Amino acid sequence: MDAETSETVAGVVRLLRRAAELVWVASDTDGAGSPRQLLALGIDLAADEARNLLPDAIPIDGPAPVGAVPAALLRSAEQLLQCVATREAADGLHGLLARVANLVWEANSGVSD
Amino acid sequence: MSPTDRRTVGELLADCDALARETLLDATFDRAPAMVRSWNQLVGSAAELWATLPSVPGSRSGSDPMDRLRVVGEAIGRSARAGHWPGWGPTDEHLTQIGDNLSRARHLVERQGRPSQPKTPEAQAQLEEFQSQLMHTLYVAAHGTAVALGAYVTDLQDRLQIGTRRRLPLVERPTALEVILARGMIARFDGFEQLAAAYLFGMRPTSGNPDWTSVAAPFIRLETALAVWEVQAYRTLANGPDPADLVRVARVQALIASTTSILTEAAATKGHIDGEVIRRLAPALDASQAAWNRTAKRWAELTNPASRTDPSLISAASEVRAAIAAIATNQTGWATHDQLAARVDLPKTVKCLHLSMIASVDLAYVVRDTAVDHPGLIAPARIIGMRAQGEAELAIEQGETRYEGVTWTTPHQTAANQLIPLPEPARRGLINLADSVIASTNRAVAAAAQLDTSKPTRSMRSDHAPHRGRSYESREMTRPQSQAPKGPSR
Repeated sequence: MDAETSETVAGVVRLLRRAAELVWVASDTDGAGSPRQLLALGIDLAADEARNLLPDAIPIDGPAPVGAVPAALLRSAEQLLQCVATREAADGLHGLLARVANLVWEANSGVSD
Repeated sequence: MSPTDRRTVGELLADCDALARETLLDATFDRAPAMVRSWNQLVGSAAELWATLPSVPGSRSGSDPMDRLRVVGEAIGRSARAGHWPGWGPTDEHLTQIGDNLSRARHLVERQGRPSQPKTPEAQAQLEEFQSQLMHTLYVAAHGTAVALGAYVTDLQDRLQIGTRRRLPLVERPTALEVILARGMIARFDGFEQLAAAYLFGMRPTSGNPDWTSVAAPFIRLETALAVWEVQAYRTLANGPDPADLVRVARVQALIASTTSILTEAAATKGHIDGEVIRRLAPALDASQAAWNRTAKRWAELTNPASRTDPSLISAASEVRAAIAAIATNQTGWATHDQLAARVDLPKTVKCLHLSMIASVDLAYVVRDTAVDHPGLIAPARIIGMRAQGEAELAIEQGETRYEGVTWTTPHQTAANQLIPLPEPARRGLINLADSVIASTNRAVAAAAQLDTSKPTRSMRSDHAPHRGRSYESREMTRPQSQAPKGPSR
């Protein structure tokens, strides 16, 4: 993975982590048994997967993503991934893109409103 | 292994079963610690023998009941080796003998060449017989150990009372902590026993249980995903986990608790479960879910941007999430009770989820052990300094004097937000949260106790007649037919 792709994926990690954080807050507000925990867990797992695509040498720290709408953050993550998930890109990136695209759909359905 | 030992595999297994029964008869308090220490070796030998036997045709891949039992046995073994109760000491002769017999049986099977799938009904019946006998041995031995532990706790309480009354020196009295730890071990053996019972009493697919082969795919997916998840969670936690792993474990367990609640309510609505049971169970499941979520949040404080989650754990968690989403959600949230009833066999799915809940008690103990033992726990100074101070103030209010006037981070550490070793009060906070998960999940298990995992009872009504393996019938220990498979009479 080249440096530019790595930086992009690091940005995706930050976006996903921020989106997960927001959905967990909403889930906590709902109280016990909130269905939003499914989406929140899904975003967490996507962030984990993105993190594991990066070598240790790549710093994950960076500017905190702006925005407070999980669906928008997920959409941004999807767009970034579309830029780097070229035909020659590793399978992991394509798998991650598919996962994030599904999450965008879930976030735009009623569960995360 | 004696060179003159000419017993066959069947004879060795029969001897194991007999020894397990003797264990139950001799389950005295003084044997309990040794039995706990021997447990992992016994389960390991059983798992190795099980692995040499071919699977019964029609069984579902990825849902091997022995996998669950093996990881629980390993967790108990690791806990004892790490110095937790009962710590180091002698092992139990009976259980060791059973383990040796099982190893001998495995050698015999291996020497004859790994057997292929049974091709005749007789060969299949014998295979089922071996598997049932092996599982029954574990079931009875686990029950015997739980009985011995119960006697041990009673003895400790008696001595504690007498010591207090006679004002004996503290060193001559057992401690209340030992009572708590031994009780915790009883809960773990109860869980093990129930997992083995679920296999023995009708949750396995066999040729004599064709109903299982036509169970809807979503249920099989969920059952397999839960079994794989439990095994993977144990494996990840056993290998120097990152705090991020603990966060995922807790979040997935919380989701499973929520799903259990949703499906159980649907089963009650559809008349499969008594309303009284659900009234007791629902709050306990909510409390368990909340406790797992609190645990997740606290462990999340120990993560940092570079934290990584075990890829195998991510994969197992993803499958649990997907299986739950397929069964229990629609586009607006949780599926309606009608939708749930149309998608899965509610009684069977509820039994499967409750079995997972039983297993989660032991997983919570492993999380607790991790909080106690993990040598590499570090955390950002700012958040963990505040957390340690908060926990210390709580402890001081309860009479702890060691924390008075202590500061947990240096100004430099705080300014730079350095990663620092976890201060003791913060670690104590993690342990307390694990205790809270254990307590709430145990309450849920107790509330669900009437939801028999084997057959219809007054609390769980199923349209499907439960299967009891033919081979098991011949060895069933005396027990009233109406009782849940909690174990032979104590």
